[in-house]
Amino acid sequence: MSGRRTGQVLLMVAGLIAWAVQFTIIYAVTSTLCGRGWADAAFLGFEIVPMTIVSATLVTFSATLLAAVWSFRNHRRKGEQPVSGADSFMNHVATLINGLSLVIILWHGISAFILPACA
Amino acid sequence: MNLEARWHTLHGWLGTFAKRAAALFCMLSLIGCSGVQSALDPAGGDASRIYWLTVIMTVGGTLIFLGVTSLLLYAIFAPPERRAWLGTRGTIVYGGLAFPIVTLSALLPYGLIVMRDTDVPQEGALPIEVIGEQYWWRVRYPADGRQTEFSTANEIVVPVGRSIAVSVTSADVIHSFWIPNFGGKIDMIPGRINRINFTAERPGVYRGVCAEFCGDQHARMAFDVIALEPEAFEAWRTEQAKPAREPEIPLLARGRELFRVGGCGSCHAVRGTEASGQFGPDLTHVGSRRTIGAGQFPNNIGTLAGWIANTQHIKPGVRMPSYGSLSGEDLRALAGYMESLK
Repeated sequence: MSGRRTGQVLLMVAGLIAWAVQFTIIYAVTSTLCGRGWADAAFLGFEIVPMTIVSATLVTFSATLLAAVWSFRNHRRKGEQPVSGADSFMNHVATLINGLSLVIILWHGISAFILPACA
Repeated sequence: MNLEARWHTLHGWLGTFAKRAAALFCMLSLIGCSGVQSALDPAGGDASRIYWLTVIMTVGGTLIFLGVTSLLLYAIFAPPERRAWLGTRGTIVYGGLAFPIVTLSALLPYGLIVMRDTDVPQEGALPIEVIGEQYWWRVRYPADGRQTEFSTANEIVVPVGRSIAVSVTSADVIHSFWIPNFGGKIDMIPGRINRINFTAERPGVYRGVCAEFCGDQHARMAFDVIALEPEAFEAWRTEQAKPAREPEIPLLARGRELFRVGGCGSCHAVRGTEASGQFGPDLTHVGSRRTIGAGQFPNNIGTLAGWIANTQHIKPGVRMPSYGSLSGEDLRALAGYMESLK
């Protein structure tokens, strides 16, 4: 696979990777701290569990937003220069997947604002 | 009768049958909407929240299902020129992406809020300990203020308007504690104490069940829940903390003697007597309970006698043996003594 194609594939799954990273961080930190009874543990005045969820959500959301914008621009650029059918399809799917990943990452982050740390 | 007449007869008969079947189905469905054991008749805040979540999910899911099914049928049977709009980008983006995202984005926070507000520990809650055993419920009321500790069985009495904090565990296998009218269920696991909180908002008699298969008699492991006004609850609690009353007539005294010599006290406790067994239910005030056999029969001298003589026939697999060798007179005396323990 050429370097350009590899980049296209990575861009296509960037949102899913960001979502997986957010998922892993949230579950690892939450289950470890809650399992050890450190639900109220704080760092610099912030409770660690909700702070981790919010931080992981912000970072992965920003990364996915970049990927979404990038793939959307690639998708829109197709009218300016001729692209192959595969390129067009991959740009289209990348936009869709990254857009949906933004929604899912937000859904995961919402719980930090509603539920207690170790509910 | 010609073929057409037969067809009309059959058509009429089928129509009548369909109407009656539909009416019967609706009636049967509605039976579950109220009563002593129904999540569709909430009697507490937690149960009410769960009820409305269920209603919204069920009604919403049904409407969406009907809508999608209608569109599917339209896509199959409508003329090509009329169904063409179903394949446009706008339909797919708005109907297939935007609509699910908006719907789920509304449902998710709502569900999380229901989770947050359900089963919340409250200050000043009444503590009750419930231990699941094959196939009955040991219920303990710890000392609370001036009220002393006592045990009862297969019946939980709670005051209306006060939060109840139930600690549950199991003495043998995994059970599950569930009072549908008051809220969710909680597993009872040997060696672990789980907690659930609820508040009864209206007086009445309700029914709780074991919601985790626990053995042969799982389906017959129920309990009564009685919600009383606070004054009535305090009076009940004061009575329950007292030792058993003395037999008032010779027949009952004979029943107590049979209870003693029969060795019943090695498994059952009757406070105020030498019976102090902890293996089976505390019988100090068994006569005051609504039911016997973990919610199986109304509590009266007849059912008590039947239970004592035919335990293994009525509820095979319970730990108590049948005492079928008792004479009729002895059985009446023993059951009478049990019934007198109000």
